Amino acid sequence: MADTGRLRSTAVGAPGWVSPVTLLRVVIILTFLAVWEFLSHSGWLYRDVVPSLVRIAAALVDLLTHGEYYFNLGVTAAEIGLALAIGGSLGIVVGIVLGANRFLTKAYEPYLYYLGPTPKIIFFPIIIMWCGVGPESKVALGALSCFFPLALSVAAGMRQIDKVLIRVGKSFRANSWQMVMKIYLPAMRHPLINGVRLGFGFALIGTLLAETKLSNMGIGFLIINAYSTFDMPRMYAMLIVLFVLSIGANALIGRLGGIESIKRR
Amino acid sequence: MSAPAADAQLNDPVLSVDKVSVRFETREGPVVAVDDVSFGVRQGEFLSVIGPSGCGKSTLFNVIGGLLTQHQGTVSVAGETIDGPHKSIGMVFQEESTFPWRTVTDNVAFPLELVGMAKAERVERARHFIKLVGLDGFDNRHPGELSGGMRQRVSLARTLASKPKILLMDEPFAALDEQTRLLLGDKVLQIQQEIQQTTLLITHNITEAVQMSDRILVMTYRPGRVKRIVDIDLPRPRTSEIVSSEAFGRYVAQIWADLREEASRGMREAEDQVLHHQGAES
Amino acid sequence: MNGGAGAAGTTVAKGSSQAGGRHRDDRLHKALPTLVGIASVIGFFLVAELLIQFGVLNRFIIPPPSQILGSFGRVITEEHVFSRFLLTATECLTAGVMITVIGVAVGVAMHRFKLFQQACETWAAALASAPMVLCYPLFLVIFGRSAWTMIIMGFVSGLPPVILKTIEGMAGIRKVLINVGRSFNLTRSQQFWKIQFPAALPSIFIGVRLGLIFALINIVGTEFLINFGGLGQLIEDLAERYDLPGTYAAVCFVILVSILFFMALEKAERWLIRAD
Repeated sequence: MADTGRLRSTAVGAPGWVSPVTLLRVVIILTFLAVWEFLSHSGWLYRDVVPSLVRIAAALVDLLTHGEYYFNLGVTAAEIGLALAIGGSLGIVVGIVLGANRFLTKAYEPYLYYLGPTPKIIFFPIIIMWCGVGPESKVALGALSCFFPLALSVAAGMRQIDKVLIRVGKSFRANSWQMVMKIYLPAMRHPLINGVRLGFGFALIGTLLAETKLSNMGIGFLIINAYSTFDMPRMYAMLIVLFVLSIGANALIGRLGGIESIKRR
Repeated sequence: MSAPAADAQLNDPVLSVDKVSVRFETREGPVVAVDDVSFGVRQGEFLSVIGPSGCGKSTLFNVIGGLLTQHQGTVSVAGETIDGPHKSIGMVFQEESTFPWRTVTDNVAFPLELVGMAKAERVERARHFIKLVGLDGFDNRHPGELSGGMRQRVSLARTLASKPKILLMDEPFAALDEQTRLLLGDKVLQIQQEIQQTTLLITHNITEAVQMSDRILVMTYRPGRVKRIVDIDLPRPRTSEIVSSEAFGRYVAQIWADLREEASRGMREAEDQVLHHQGAES
Repeated sequence: MNGGAGAAGTTVAKGSSQAGGRHRDDRLHKALPTLVGIASVIGFFLVAELLIQFGVLNRFIIPPPSQILGSFGRVITEEHVFSRFLLTATECLTAGVMITVIGVAVGVAMHRFKLFQQACETWAAALASAPMVLCYPLFLVIFGRSAWTMIIMGFVSGLPPVILKTIEGMAGIRKVLINVGRSFNLTRSQQFWKIQFPAALPSIFIGVRLGLIFALINIVGTEFLINFGGLGQLIEDLAERYDLPGTYAAVCFVILVSILFFMALEKAERWLIRAD
């Protein structure tokens, strides 16, 4: 709510011409690009660490005009989607069960809480033994990565639900399924969407890291391939596309919650 | 006390509360919240339960609503003993209880949705009750856009839409300011008279209770027992204007005399408890 | 239930004399969930052990827990676990100091120069959600296979939350505290050090903790990926040698270390905020 207010006030601050904020942004971006370009021509850094913008742009065009890239993008997207579906739905179920029961919370949540932030990539050698070296192992690592943040934020969300809403549901004799679908989930939509956002981020990192470690397709594979052949412009181009896509997807998930809260007010 | 109770038996009460007691275990030991309470609510009657804070009113509310089942004695609706939320009883809570993610219509249609009523039908019925509480035109708003009094009317409409035999309300106006409270009281009175809704109101507000009730049950401070049941012989239909009549004043004075004793005892005990606690800690 | 409640009702007077007994009950009651939690973890490993011993699970994929437990000592003595741990811890600590100092400074600066904040806050938020760890080949090119690659990796991934939470803390200070400062005629720097900074501290701590978590994840992850240095490499090493129990033991060891790390972090946070 405060966020939308602030966003609106900056937008309103633009009277016909360009607002100072936009101007500052453009200045910062242009400065950054100028310094970059200067560095690339200075020769101070090791060859190609900072390639010229022209070469990055060319690599970007080259990347986006080849079908091979889209195939690998599709592989990675499918892996992440599957990881989020498996790990996410498991996380939501576990979160609901934990959040609804104080005893289970006390018994098991500490384990989730402390296992949550440990780097999941360390499980990769074990996962490879279980699932092989194909896309399955990437899905498994992604699912493992996004399970914890989702389970923890759903459990916390469950506990934040206004108790009176639960009593309303019970007084109208809602069954367990109706309680979950019509009261619990909508009442905790904000922590839930936040959890999905976090989960998406973790699934993305888990899947991509697994791909860079050991695979023969996917974006992670392409990036590490570009690095090993020292094709830096291509690597930058792929990182740029990847960042744009992931930031966009993240904003999109956040927007799902945003629209709702605006309508509510 | 026994005379009106017997009277209620004769008239075949819709809701009957029979020898209900509730005890809680607390850190300081067991507390008897409600002790041997019996009364009945007749068809079409408006009965208020009044008492000081801590007399177990809300506990009684939860027991009758079926949300609290660890009690002795029985509560029955139209002959059926209650052991959980019953479809014949509709509850309106003291706290803000509308669903912020649903529009007014969808809030009111909620109980109908639970029983699987077709969409067109439930929207139509919801609209009827929204109109009844005087919120027509706000059908597609979200609760966040409404005032506290309007939201409480949405809750009322939602409960009425489930067509309960008994409307059970726990201090539904407690969180509102005085003027809104009076106007909303009028609205409830008007609706109750219009649809002959059997109603049980839990409150600590004497004016509100006298203004609306046919009978008022006064409870004692801990343990909550029935102190007296007062018949309110004021003409119907009533509005909030009745507040200025002489008879109204007499009833208020009579009930306050009963209640004052209990309330001051409650206050004393609460103070004692604080002192006791400080003594124990230091 | 009813009988029990009735009995309780008649023993009101005896309540205080039984307080001792109830306290013991209370303690058991409080510890019960924790005990159940521990018991089910132990139970889980026992079941795994049995399933493997009876050949239901393939012991060449999952070594029995007893064997993992047995190889713990071997891994610790033979694989220089202590020096690896020190290396990873130093990397984390260096990255932690960097994100704290630079992150808080940038956050405060952004809060002071509102225009700068309006222009860049969303960028910082976007960076926080971008998979920065994918940039590790880049740092590998710049810093080579050295600890600095790991430190910078931890730094870039841990920086955004510190900046964002510092801004949030500075912006969330109650107006009345600022006015109290004004009423005492505090100078600008006094206003900052005596009012604004302490008031924003809890939020800053949350940011630093988040930053450290991201830093640790990325540092261990990068160690594992490029097979260099500390604890991350340990796992990779053992896995490449097909030392199954060793690999599992090392994974357990890293989990233990990170759990201890987060517990210590939590304790430190609580202590610092209370001391404030």
